[in-house]
Amino acid sequence: MISLIFRFLLDFFELCPSLLPIMNLSRSLLFSGALVATSLTLNLHSQEAAPAPAPRPPRLNGTADAIDLASGAWDNVINIEVSVLFPDYREPWNAGQPSGGSGTGFLIAPNRFMTNAHVVSNATRVMIRTTNDPEPHPAKIVFIAHDCDLAIIEAVNPEHFAKLKPLAIGGVPKLNTEVNVLGYPIGGDRISVTRGVVSRIDFRPYSHTSVDSHLAIQVDAAINPGNSGGPVLQDGKVVGVAFQGYSGRVAQNVGYMIPTPVIKRFLKDVEDGSYDYYVDLSVDDFPIENPAQVKALKLEEPGVGVMIGDVSISGSVSDVLKPGDVLLSLGGNPVYNNGLIRVDGDLVDMNEVVERKFAGDKVALEFIRDGKKQKAEVTLKRFAPYVKLGATYDERPRYLMYAGLLFQPLDRNLMDAHRITDRTVVHVFDNYLNSKFYVDIPEPVVLTTILPDEATTYLQSTFPGLVEEINGVKIKRLADVAEALKKDGDKPGFIVVKLLDKGRPIILKRSLADEAHPRIMQNYNIQEAAFIGQELK
Amino acid sequence: MKTIFFILSLTAVALQAQAPKAPATKAPQRPAVIRTDALVKVNATIQQYNPYLPWQKQSPGGRRGLGVVMPGQRVLVTAQMAADATYLELEMPDTEAKIPAKVVGIDYEANLALLAGAADEKRVTAFFAGLKPLEVETNVAKGDNLNIWQSDRVGDLIVTPLRVSKIMTSAYVVEGSNYLVYECQGILRSEGNSFTLPLVKGGKLVGLLLRYDQKNQVTTVLPGMIIEHFLKDVADGNVEGFPSLGAQFQSTMDDQFRDYLGLKPEQGGMYVSAVVKGNTADKMGMKEGDIVLSMNGFEIDSRGDYLDPQYGRLNMSHIVRGRAYVGDSLEVKVLRDGKEETLKGKLIRKLPQDNLVWPYLFDRGPNYLVHGGLVFQELSKPYLEGFRENQNADVSRLSYLAEHPEAMEEQGRKKLVFLSMVLPTPSAQGYTNLGGNVINKINGKPILQLADAVEAFKSPKDGVHTIELNDFPRFLYLDAAQSDKDNAAMRAGAFRIGKLSRIE
Repeated sequence: MISLIFRFLLDFFELCPSLLPIMNLSRSLLFSGALVATSLTLNLHSQEAAPAPAPRPPRLNGTADAIDLASGAWDNVINIEVSVLFPDYREPWNAGQPSGGSGTGFLIAPNRFMTNAHVVSNATRVMIRTTNDPEPHPAKIVFIAHDCDLAIIEAVNPEHFAKLKPLAIGGVPKLNTEVNVLGYPIGGDRISVTRGVVSRIDFRPYSHTSVDSHLAIQVDAAINPGNSGGPVLQDGKVVGVAFQGYSGRVAQNVGYMIPTPVIKRFLKDVEDGSYDYYVDLSVDDFPIENPAQVKALKLEEPGVGVMIGDVSISGSVSDVLKPGDVLLSLGGNPVYNNGLIRVDGDLVDMNEVVERKFAGDKVALEFIRDGKKQKAEVTLKRFAPYVKLGATYDERPRYLMYAGLLFQPLDRNLMDAHRITDRTVVHVFDNYLNSKFYVDIPEPVVLTTILPDEATTYLQSTFPGLVEEINGVKIKRLADVAEALKKDGDKPGFIVVKLLDKGRPIILKRSLADEAHPRIMQNYNIQEAAFIGQELK
Repeated sequence: MKTIFFILSLTAVALQAQAPKAPATKAPQRPAVIRTDALVKVNATIQQYNPYLPWQKQSPGGRRGLGVVMPGQRVLVTAQMAADATYLELEMPDTEAKIPAKVVGIDYEANLALLAGAADEKRVTAFFAGLKPLEVETNVAKGDNLNIWQSDRVGDLIVTPLRVSKIMTSAYVVEGSNYLVYECQGILRSEGNSFTLPLVKGGKLVGLLLRYDQKNQVTTVLPGMIIEHFLKDVADGNVEGFPSLGAQFQSTMDDQFRDYLGLKPEQGGMYVSAVVKGNTADKMGMKEGDIVLSMNGFEIDSRGDYLDPQYGRLNMSHIVRGRAYVGDSLEVKVLRDGKEETLKGKLIRKLPQDNLVWPYLFDRGPNYLVHGGLVFQELSKPYLEGFRENQNADVSRLSYLAEHPEAMEEQGRKKLVFLSMVLPTPSAQGYTNLGGNVINKINGKPILQLADAVEAFKSPKDGVHTIELNDFPRFLYLDAAQSDKDNAAMRAGAFRIGKLSRIE
């Protein structure tokens, strides 16, 4: 029996070769999840063939810790069943692919259940139930924070859950202390408990967006698909929210939970009724390990100070720091040469100082430039351009279709859906941040498809491409396309679309294009020609 | 990992050019003149430099083919047989008598090489005594029956008939080199020495095997006309190669595009979509947006073809890279802003070393410089090709720059110097994970080619070298004294780098 289950789990995980949000998903869903997260675990693939773990010795006081489900004390850990609609970035006029999955949540305040953002992302219907109550209850999302993979949901009809006691939020557990993971993972319907120890506390990528990193705690308790959003408990208090793990092919007994500093920050952020995202220093730091760096950068105290390797434009510190500066301290705490800083006694990434702050908060900096020590105070703000590089959710795909030409804003979802390999588009996407494309083209627009028609039949080899100009108007965002198409190009009666690095412009005769447009809409079953919407933030 | 990828890609090229594993055909053979006295076996040992550890060479490998005897005790083979050869020899197919050989002239782009014996005159003369040169025949038409000659293990000739189904221009071995080819239909035997094989008609050489597509049974032939051009070129001992135009074109079949350009219905023409700096088109004043209507009197149709008096419809590239020689004049009629203009100029050839990124590196290693464990190189296509299946952001950025060199060239760069890897030395402590970074300056001096870096490292400031990168982390520092020490250790120590630089 055990071996059977083990094989089943392995098969399940092989579908998702990398770090994954651990929501229990249906198969169609898993494939897209695997695509989104593959880039994160390259450095871990070499450790694939680890031996199976030895069984944990039985605990002598096992009975003392027994959970009595019948008491109803654990009804505050709920099962969440979600129906989702995957947006269709290939045919953006379609509503998308319906699918579903399940995860876990827990009560943190009257009719406030916490779970992972990835459990309820793209949800069309959310149903919750306790382990003792087979009846599902409709719920709705109150707050969702994709950048830290947390969400709060509430029951539409709160009475049913009114008697439940909320779980208290604790602190950061110490290494090697025991924790319990509760939830509704794969392998059965009722609540499941697993036990392990805190293995590591580190700054880690969060695979939900794949571009956000925060503090995360690694535990060796089994965390499997379906555990997502479930509480990790120590001394009866929540010390984390189970949220991601590795496929068994990559690493064993490595599960991650979102620790309480991240949870508490989220709860504080939404106190005002809206979620305002993380703020960011928007710098890339480079360690100072080389004596020649110490000498050239004129550092007095070895071991303190990290070099600034790159600074984002319009970020929190873009007016203060520049590449080659050495950041000595942040918020009054010394920054060590490897970019770490001591927070609550632990050495963590220096970003952790900023992580706990909010938009508009100030932070003091000390740095060395040209051998001179300088001080500054910066106001922290969010750096939005990076969002496009990660997976985004709960967004209706934005597009504009005219005479068979489909224009879409460049982002991760688009790249994945169209599997774009065009060198220029890939180059702009890969280097959007480090080559600072976001300054001149905040929202690059891609001509992703040209639907075949009499009017477009000669254009079938011209896409995909990055739209540089339409009718002489530089295209900086999707909304520009609509405006530019209305204008006349350099020759009246012709629409001229220039793609970056592509030799010939795409030429459409306006009269033919106008005639073809409704025909193409009809033939390809396109209900709406455009959804311009709002830029990703 | 990197090395493995590169070796794999090499093997793929080799396999493509190897002849086939197909059974012999029983197709009736037309009587043909068979000349075994015009063929020698050519055995080559090929060894390339390692693009990632540029001071060392990769494992040697062998190639075997059939060479065609040319007048003056010369042997014609494809350049693939001779490029990067560490040892070449000629072998009599029947007696197995061997003499070492050397390359007299080689054109990597046209994929042809001329070999001569590399022994004392007496031995060479004795070797060639029973051999008679083959004449080159350029007159081939669609539907012609050709014979391909192979030699079996004991030197017996195997003759296989092939029928010319297409005459066209097609890619040769080096990226971007398009020349005339014949495509023939027929099944080829798999024999051990089939890297270069002659094709004959009426006892004359009409071409050499370029590649064989086993699945479709299509043999691509490097034609007599290109061979004749090469032999004329090499006659003075100096291979100038084929001229190049240096422009990219797009067809004008799209009616709406034609209307926009103002082309009349009966007019053909090709739209100039890019003009490479410093090549023929650029020098004669061709501009992006021009429409080329004719070249040297040949009218260009909207697909880019012209009517060749000898071979019929051919791509316009054959006018430059087939018919003409470097120094010939070129006259191009273009439509510019609705008016016809005639551009005149002389055909030149942009040399491989005149490109920002080395297009190929045959018979030479990549330029490199090791300083304090930092390995600098001039970017080359072979370097990038090794990553074909393993692109990361750094490689993808370099690949993009290789395809779009204009911006970097405008900065005055002659070569793209980049940090290819970092060896674990004391002076490079902390930099080991870097690689793929374009170098802007060293010690304040702009690095336009690798030789500049050698000079720049002579003047550290306050005992520190400052290296400025185009991207993150922007600045690297090396201790001058320590890096000199490390340089000495690099030669003798674990890495045994005999020479810390190659600047050629």
